[in-house]
Amino acid sequence: MHKEKAEPITFRVQRYNPENGGKPHFQEFIVPSSKGMTVLDGLIYIKENLDSTIAFRTSCRMAICGSCGMLINNYPHLACHTQIEEFHSNRLTIKPLPNFPIIKDLVVDLAPFFEIHKSIKPYILRDDLEEMENPSTEYAQSHRALESFLQFTYCIKCGICVSACPTSASDKQFHGPQALAQCYRYCADGRDDGEPDRFPVVGTDHGVWHCHLAGACSESCPKGVDPALAIQLLKRRMVSRTLRLGKKEPPASTLPPPVESKPKLPFPEFTVKEG
Amino acid sequence: MRQIRPRQNYLGAGGWVWAGNYKLERYLYILHRVTGLGILFFLLAHLIVTTFFRIQGQEVWEKAMTILNNPLFKTGEYLVAVAFVYHALNGLRLILQELGFLMAKPIPPIYPYSDALRKKRLWTMAIIGIIAILCLVFFYDFIVGGW
Amino acid sequence: MRYTYLWLMQLVTGVLIAVLLGIHMVIQHLEDILRFLGFNLNDPASWQSMMERSREVIWAGIYIALLAVVLYHALNGLRNVILELTPSARTERAITWTIVAFGVIVFAWASYVPIALLSR
Repeated sequence: MHKEKAEPITFRVQRYNPENGGKPHFQEFIVPSSKGMTVLDGLIYIKENLDSTIAFRTSCRMAICGSCGMLINNYPHLACHTQIEEFHSNRLTIKPLPNFPIIKDLVVDLAPFFEIHKSIKPYILRDDLEEMENPSTEYAQSHRALESFLQFTYCIKCGICVSACPTSASDKQFHGPQALAQCYRYCADGRDDGEPDRFPVVGTDHGVWHCHLAGACSESCPKGVDPALAIQLLKRRMVSRTLRLGKKEPPASTLPPPVESKPKLPFPEFTVKEG
Repeated sequence: MRQIRPRQNYLGAGGWVWAGNYKLERYLYILHRVTGLGILFFLLAHLIVTTFFRIQGQEVWEKAMTILNNPLFKTGEYLVAVAFVYHALNGLRLILQELGFLMAKPIPPIYPYSDALRKKRLWTMAIIGIIAILCLVFFYDFIVGGW
Repeated sequence: MRYTYLWLMQLVTGVLIAVLLGIHMVIQHLEDILRFLGFNLNDPASWQSMMERSREVIWAGIYIALLAVVLYHALNGLRNVILELTPSARTERAITWTIVAFGVIVFAWASYVPIALLSR
């Protein structure tokens, strides 16, 4: 087996320790990198071998949990999903995600982000409260109806779109592309009845109308969720409701109980007998 | 444990202007904002000239016109015309895309991911092409004619 | 609901401006090209040509309409840009009322001028 040459890469990481006071500053580390190594692998190498006080979030290391969002060479990426090789440079600058408050080093405070997500009621709302609280059976939804919003359900709540958005950079009351896209995901879901609850929350000056289609959110989304498309479809939906154009589809109904049911198979006998 | 206040990290209005590695649509957004504000400031000056100076009669008007005939102001007027052409046509594109007309349909994401704006980038490029042609048309009159 | 209408008016005024201001730009600036196409205007910025236009009601109407839509579109846009810097709620209201007052005053003054010049 031939040993791959380890190329030393300089990681320039923004450090900030609130307990010592002081301001954010950069610290450089030399990390031996090899082909296929991700930025997260580099950070873990730093933590294990060079400086164990460096703080960053990581969990699944496979781009599904959304923990490791950070600004790498001035563009937001998931660290576990980004190869060191793709920058074609031996110098990487790593900073925490902008537009979120920094707790320490590369760890940002996502609590306000989740609060805003909660404020748009990210769950199915039905007029029939009894059915909603104690569901008797599942709702019927055709495959085509599912595909009209399925793309937006893949959001992993990593916060990268909010970092990329130019409006989120200055407008502290803006909901952010993630919350607005999830608002559309629930409003477009055929099973949901909750438009009158959600529209007053997002249909404000600092809500959906401050999105000006810069498209940076969709461009930087690591899961291809395309929040920009969701927000424009949400605007379209709000305009057609306000102007009372188009027909509002009735929400998906519950399936009728089956008339003829197949005979249940008997539960097989245990092979290990008692006694 | 001592409660630590997290440090604010907003990009602020710098996030409007700096677009780094982002693609075309973000630069179009910056230009749209810059041209809009530029036309607004020109508008205020223009209203002052066409109301106060016009209503005072011919001599005041012609004196103002001779002052404004110098090449610096003429170039400024050409830039305003270009800004208007850009803002109007990009605005038309934004109207269509923000109401969902020039956008691709939602499909489940398949790697490598593409977004709805990138899929319809041909339309965006066509509109930029029309902007460029109109800028050249105005430029012809700027150079050849008296503007 | 109200904000939806404000945004829709921004779109509608945008389209109207594209038409009206387009006419204004073509008349003021594209003189040579129009002459080439057969329309002969004599130096639109000269006093003579301008006074001829200001005596016609249709031009006064076009200018007043253009002024109204431009003021709405520009001041609403300016308000959105300023509000993105998130001032406090009280400052927001102050800014809104200042902009509305400014718009009304400018519209009143600048539409008086073409009407006054109609009779001169």
